[in-house]
Amino acid sequence: MNAKFYIMSGSVSADSSELDEAACQIISRHYRNGEKVFVLANSQQHAERIDEILWRFDTAQFVPHSLSGENPQQASPVEIAWQPVNARRQTLINLASSAPNTATYYQQIIDFVPGDEAGKKQARDRYRLYRQMGIQLETLTYNDEFEDLS
Amino acid sequence: MPVSSTPNSTSFESSQQESQSSLKASAAYFESKGTLAQRIDGFAPRSQQQDMASAVEQCIESQATLLVEAGTGTGKTFAYLLPALLSGKKVVISTGSKALQDQLFQKDLPTVQAAIDYAMPVALLKGRSNYLCIERVNSFAHRSGGQSPQVLAELVKIKAWSAGNRSGDISELGPIAERADIFPLITSTNDNCLGRECANYDDCYLVKARSRAMEAQLVVVNHHLFMADMVVKESGFGELIPEAEVYLFDEAHQLPDIAIQYFGQSLSSRQILDLCNDVELAYRTELYDMAQLAKAAKKLSLSVRDFRVAFEGERDRGDLRPLFKRPKFAQQLPSIREDMGFLQSVLKLALSRCELGDSCYERLCKFISLFDKIVQVNASGNSYWYETTRIHFTLHLTPLNVSERFDQELEQRKAAWIFTSATLAVNGGFEHFQNQLGLASATTLLLDSPFDYAQQSMFCVPRYLPQLRDPKIDQKLADMLLPVIEANQGRCFFLCTSHSMTQKMAAVLREKSNFTILVQGEAAKGELLESFIEDGNAILVATSSFWEGVDVRGQALSCVIIDKLPFSAPDDPMLVAKSEDCKMRGGDPFAQVYLPEAAIALKQGVGRLIRDHTDRGVVIVCDPRMVHRDYGELFVASLPPMKRTRDLQQLIKFIHESD
Repeated sequence: MNAKFYIMSGSVSADSSELDEAACQIISRHYRNGEKVFVLANSQQHAERIDEILWRFDTAQFVPHSLSGENPQQASPVEIAWQPVNARRQTLINLASSAPNTATYYQQIIDFVPGDEAGKKQARDRYRLYRQMGIQLETLTYNDEFEDLS
Repeated sequence: MPVSSTPNSTSFESSQQESQSSLKASAAYFESKGTLAQRIDGFAPRSQQQDMASAVEQCIESQATLLVEAGTGTGKTFAYLLPALLSGKKVVISTGSKALQDQLFQKDLPTVQAAIDYAMPVALLKGRSNYLCIERVNSFAHRSGGQSPQVLAELVKIKAWSAGNRSGDISELGPIAERADIFPLITSTNDNCLGRECANYDDCYLVKARSRAMEAQLVVVNHHLFMADMVVKESGFGELIPEAEVYLFDEAHQLPDIAIQYFGQSLSSRQILDLCNDVELAYRTELYDMAQLAKAAKKLSLSVRDFRVAFEGERDRGDLRPLFKRPKFAQQLPSIREDMGFLQSVLKLALSRCELGDSCYERLCKFISLFDKIVQVNASGNSYWYETTRIHFTLHLTPLNVSERFDQELEQRKAAWIFTSATLAVNGGFEHFQNQLGLASATTLLLDSPFDYAQQSMFCVPRYLPQLRDPKIDQKLADMLLPVIEANQGRCFFLCTSHSMTQKMAAVLREKSNFTILVQGEAAKGELLESFIEDGNAILVATSSFWEGVDVRGQALSCVIIDKLPFSAPDDPMLVAKSEDCKMRGGDPFAQVYLPEAAIALKQGVGRLIRDHTDRGVVIVCDPRMVHRDYGELFVASLPPMKRTRDLQQLIKFIHESD
C-alpha cells in the first residue's frame, strides 16, 4: 500500500476546475494503464463535474466510467462516488477533503496538495491519517506531461 | 442569380495550383465560379465535393475500386454523377432504397444533365413488382366477383391512371400501391408472368423499361435488382441490367446484407402448396386418367401443413440446426421428402403430355434438390434458418460470407467500381465493409461533413438513466426527457430499437404530454413525415425504418432521442451467419460484427438531425453503456464531433440559445 501526493502549483486551489481537470488527466492515465479506479469526490455535484470532464474528453482519451447510483450491470473501469464504499479496487483517486477510512482497501492512492492554504491544511491532515494507517507515502510535483506509471 | 465572387483572386489561383496534383478535370466544375455554380441555383462549392469528384474520375480512368465515406452535406451525389457522365462511358448506378432511386432519377440526374448538356439516353429500372401488369389488371376485370366495392373502385382509378402513363411505375400511384389487397392484383411475379405468350407483351411496362435500360448509357437501379441480375447472369439465363464500364453504389453500406440474401437460397411451404394446386389442376384438366397424381399431391400438401404445425408459435424465426434434432422434426423431414419423391415419380409418367404437368415436374425437381441441400444443416459455410408466418414456413440457407464471390464478380467485369455512403467507416476504418464484400485492394477516401457539429449540435447520455431492463423504463424516460422535449417544443424523433418499446413510449408520451404523437404503423411512412412537418411541434415515435434515409431539413426536426444502442438481436439470422463466419476465421464476433454494425446504425440514426449548414439540434442516447463500457469509445468515435454533455440542463440551455 502506498499513497502518492501530487503537489499542485500555487494557483490551483482545492475545489477548482483546474484541479478537477488535472485529476481527470490522471484518471485517464491510470485507466489506460489497465487499472480499476475508484474516484472519491466531495459531493454529488463534484462527482458530476468529474463525470462531465471525462465525458467531454477527446475520443482518443475516452475513459469508460460510471457515477455511484448508476449501477451498471457490469462494473465500469472507473467509478466515481461521493461516499466511501466497501469495495476493493486497485487504485483510489481521492478528491475529497478528508481521507476515507477505507483507504487501506486500495493498492495505491493518488491524492493532491492544492495551492491554497486551506487546501494545503486539509491535505496535511489526510497525509497524517494515511501514515497512521501504515500507508507508505511519497510526494511529487504535478506536471501535465506524460508520466510513466510503472 | 448572382454568381458568388471570390474576393481575392490571387489566393484563389494559388489554392488551385497547390492542389493541382490531386484534383482532376471534373473538380473544376465544382469551383465557386465553375459550371455548376453558374448553372445550378443555390449551388455552394465545397472542397470535399471536389476531392470526391477527383477520386471518382481517377477511379473511372484506371478501372479501379474506390470506397468513399462522404459525411452528410458533402454533396456526394453530384460528386459522383458529374465525373460519371463526363467520362462518356456506360454507367450503372445502384441505390439502397427506392426513395433515393426516384430522387436520383427525377431530381439530381436531370439537374446535372442540364448543367453539362449531357445528351445520351438515361433510364430508370426497378424490379418486376414495381410495374403495373396490364394482363393481370385486365384479367382481374373479367373475374372481379368477390372483391370489396372499395377494391373495385380503386381498380377503376388504377386503370384510368395506367391509360395515360408511360412508365407504369406503381409508386406514382401513392399509398394505394402499397395495400396488400391490391398490390398482387396489379403486378406480376416470375411465376405468373406469361412472358412472350402474353397478349400485352408489346405494351408491357416491364419489357419496355428493360429495353430502355439495355439501350441507355446510364441506368439507375437498386441493390436488390443489381444482385438479382448478378445471380441471373451467373446462372446463364439472360440479364436484366446491361454490362457497364462504371458501377456506382450509393447507400453502399446496405449492399453486404442484400448480397447475402441473394446468394442464399430458400424454399417455402407456399411454393410447395402452389405446386400441389397446379398438379391437381393438371389432373382435372388434361391428365384426368391419372388419379394417382391427385392423391400424391394431396398427400404432400398434408405433410407440408403438418410440418408448419410442428413449428410452434405464430411468427418466428430461428436456427434450423437445433430444431431438426428434435424428434418431431426428425420424423417429419423424411416423410415430406418421401412425398415429394412419390409425386415426382408419378409426374414423370405423365411427361410430355401437357405443358402444365411438365412445368410442375421441373419445379418439383428444383424443390427437391433445394430441399436436400437445406436439410444438410451440418454442412459448414452456411447458416440454416427458418421463418414462419401464421400459415406458412420458409427454410433458408444463407452463405456466411459472400466476399469471395463478390470479389470474383469485380475481377470478371473490366470496370470501375465505386462504393459510397454517409456511413461506410467505423472509427475511421473501412475494414468492416471490406471484410464483407472483399474489395481488399480498393482505394479508400474518408470525407468529413462540412458542417460544424461542435457548434450546431449537442450530444447527451443523461445521468442516472433507468436500467435497460427496468419494467417502468418508458415512464421513467418520459419523466426524465419531457423537460427537454418541452424546451425544444416537440420537433423530436424518438427512435426505438424494438416495436414493443415504440408502442410503450408512444402510449406514455400521449398520456404525459400535449404534443401530437405520431407513431410508426399508424400511418404510412410518407404520411407520417408529412404530418410531422406540417404539425411543427410533434413527436414521432418509430423504429428501424426511420433510422435511415429520412431527410427533414431545418428546425422541424431538432431533437433525436434514441432508446438504446442499436445492437442487432442475437437471433437475427443474418447476424448469426456473420458471427459464425467470424468465429471460423478466428475472430471475435462481438468486436468484429455486433459492434461495428451497431456503430453504423447509430451513426445513421444520429445523421437524421443535421441536414444543413443552418440546422441546430440535440441528440440523446438513453443507453448508459455508451459511457460505462469500454466499447463506448468506438461509438463516440464513429459519431460526428458533436459537443458532449451528460447534463440535461446543459442541453436545455443549448436549445434556448438556438431560439
